[in-house]
Amino acid sequence: MKRYDLIVVGAGPAGLSAAIEAARCGMSVAVFDENTKPGGQLFKQIHKFFGSKEHQAKIRGYKIGETLLAEAADAGVEVFLNATVAGIYLDKEVLVQIGAAMEHFKADTIIIATGAAENMVTFDGWTLPGVIGAGAAQTMMNLYGIKPGQRVLMLGSGNVGLVVSFQLMQAGCEVVALVDAAPKVGGYGVHAAKIARCGVPFYLSHTITKAEGSDCVSGVEISQVDEDFAPIPGTQKHFDVDTICLAVGLSPMSQLLKMAGCNMVDDPRRGGQVPQVDENGETSIPGLFAAGDVSGIEEASSAMIQGRMSGLAAAAYLGFLSEQDKDNRLADLEIALDSLHQGMFAPGNKGKTFTKTDEGIAVSQSLLKKGYLDDADLERFIHRSDQTDEKSGIHPVIECTQNIPCNPCQDACTRGCIKVGKTITALPRIDATISCTGCGMCIASCSGQAIFLVDEDYAPGYASITLPYEFLPRPQKGELGTALSRSGQPLGHAEIIDVRSAKTFDQTTLVTIKVPVEQAMTARFYQPETNAAGQ
Amino acid sequence: MNRISEHPILGETEKGQLVTFFMDGKSMEGYAGEPIAVALKAAGLMVHRYTHKAHEPRGIFCAIGRCTDCVMIVDGVPNIRTCITPLVAGMRIQTQDGVTALEVNE
Repeated sequence: MKRYDLIVVGAGPAGLSAAIEAARCGMSVAVFDENTKPGGQLFKQIHKFFGSKEHQAKIRGYKIGETLLAEAADAGVEVFLNATVAGIYLDKEVLVQIGAAMEHFKADTIIIATGAAENMVTFDGWTLPGVIGAGAAQTMMNLYGIKPGQRVLMLGSGNVGLVVSFQLMQAGCEVVALVDAAPKVGGYGVHAAKIARCGVPFYLSHTITKAEGSDCVSGVEISQVDEDFAPIPGTQKHFDVDTICLAVGLSPMSQLLKMAGCNMVDDPRRGGQVPQVDENGETSIPGLFAAGDVSGIEEASSAMIQGRMSGLAAAAYLGFLSEQDKDNRLADLEIALDSLHQGMFAPGNKGKTFTKTDEGIAVSQSLLKKGYLDDADLERFIHRSDQTDEKSGIHPVIECTQNIPCNPCQDACTRGCIKVGKTITALPRIDATISCTGCGMCIASCSGQAIFLVDEDYAPGYASITLPYEFLPRPQKGELGTALSRSGQPLGHAEIIDVRSAKTFDQTTLVTIKVPVEQAMTARFYQPETNAAGQ
Repeated sequence: MNRISEHPILGETEKGQLVTFFMDGKSMEGYAGEPIAVALKAAGLMVHRYTHKAHEPRGIFCAIGRCTDCVMIVDGVPNIRTCITPLVAGMRIQTQDGVTALEVNE
């Protein structure tokens, strides 16, 4: 039986991060993962991450995955793939199925980082081919390069549903509607706004009542729901779709921890059955840790920090790290984790309804119900008094109206025009005294694609708007198309006057459109003449 | 066409060699190393199996080897999770009916 100082179960963001820290402290580390490739779900995440520099904000998930794999290899971490941990015994022994063989391994510490599984909902026809999980859609399009479908309806307005809807459009699929039984959008408003301005309608307080089709999905019926989430008869709507995508939350895969005999708790805010853990992820069994989604559903950025913390704690447990070094290093990680746990979407605020931002501004109800800011909201959030009255010329407009932990825009502006301040969840403010050069770094660095550069004085009667664009075909300078509003409604002709891409923009193209000056604060997307957005 | 020829963020998908395999006896093409389910989806095939009792169709659901909805008969072996089993040249894939192969009229 092979022995290690540490066994990690799961080679996702938490497990790899834990393994890297432990191995760097001198521990021999084995990581087991049931999949053929390491990295967990990171390689399916093609959007830019939120947070700040220490959370690797504005870097796309799959690139963070590549970095983790390189770091793990450098640190000497041994990763076993196609290796399913089937059992866990006393004294830190595990049973692993590798191929057709069952093998025993033993360690002095174990970190469980098995992540989470998707939740499902049932409705008439839910077993038909064409009804898929949001994770399946990501796997198909972002790992293997195939479209999950041509016309897709998304159920679930949490960040997964919103992000995957956008990714579906990037893959060339049409998203016909976004549906959620909840009365308001569950995920970040900026993610919702990205898909609303492509014209995707939001149906809150609606659910799927039937998947139609004989051998596979050919349509879907949705119905409005009452306060008890029961469908209201007579409110049915039909859509022709070939795919129904379900993004209705995640549950921790905590079976191994239960099997090991850890004290478990049922905590709906953490996503279900989770182990009792201390601040470093140590369970009720000394030397056995849990990190990442398995000990409470969050996202990859916090999973990586939790992984690092449990890796260091495991190293200290076996004496590979002095208590003092452990405390010093954990203190920094705790601050980094704490900053992700702030704001309206913090794990502790799950289920709460906010009527005002930390700044005391009334939140946009339109954003929560329809996925986009309406004109009245703009008055509150994007007032021109940010600029000096007489000043003309190009300036950023930041449509970031919720307190979320993210601040790359602040570092992006080399002139210091954008300020978030020390509190990472504060809404960004524009310093009116500093003039904007129009470099566009703020647009490209905003993970929520919520920053636009507007010039009301571009030409007599015309304004220019520079917006982030992540679809194909990339517009060409001189091309004519249609300007779309925040709700995806056509406003009129738009001419492409500039198209910029750069390595530092990381695949985000900055497209500048010329529109009548009255549309300076309403046009927020561009649709090429021949295609629907995203196709 | 279900394959994404070019992606705005990921560019072109890296693919293995184009190979021939057999789906219920019919010759099809896919890329070696990609999951069988991906090759079938690219070809527009949706139904992987029929359930034993109610004879209901099932296809890809989780795509990560967890739900077992996509199992098929591969080279004579039933219950193979096609979403995590790599395609190999010459593979014989059959629609599963219960736990045996679906009878196909050719």
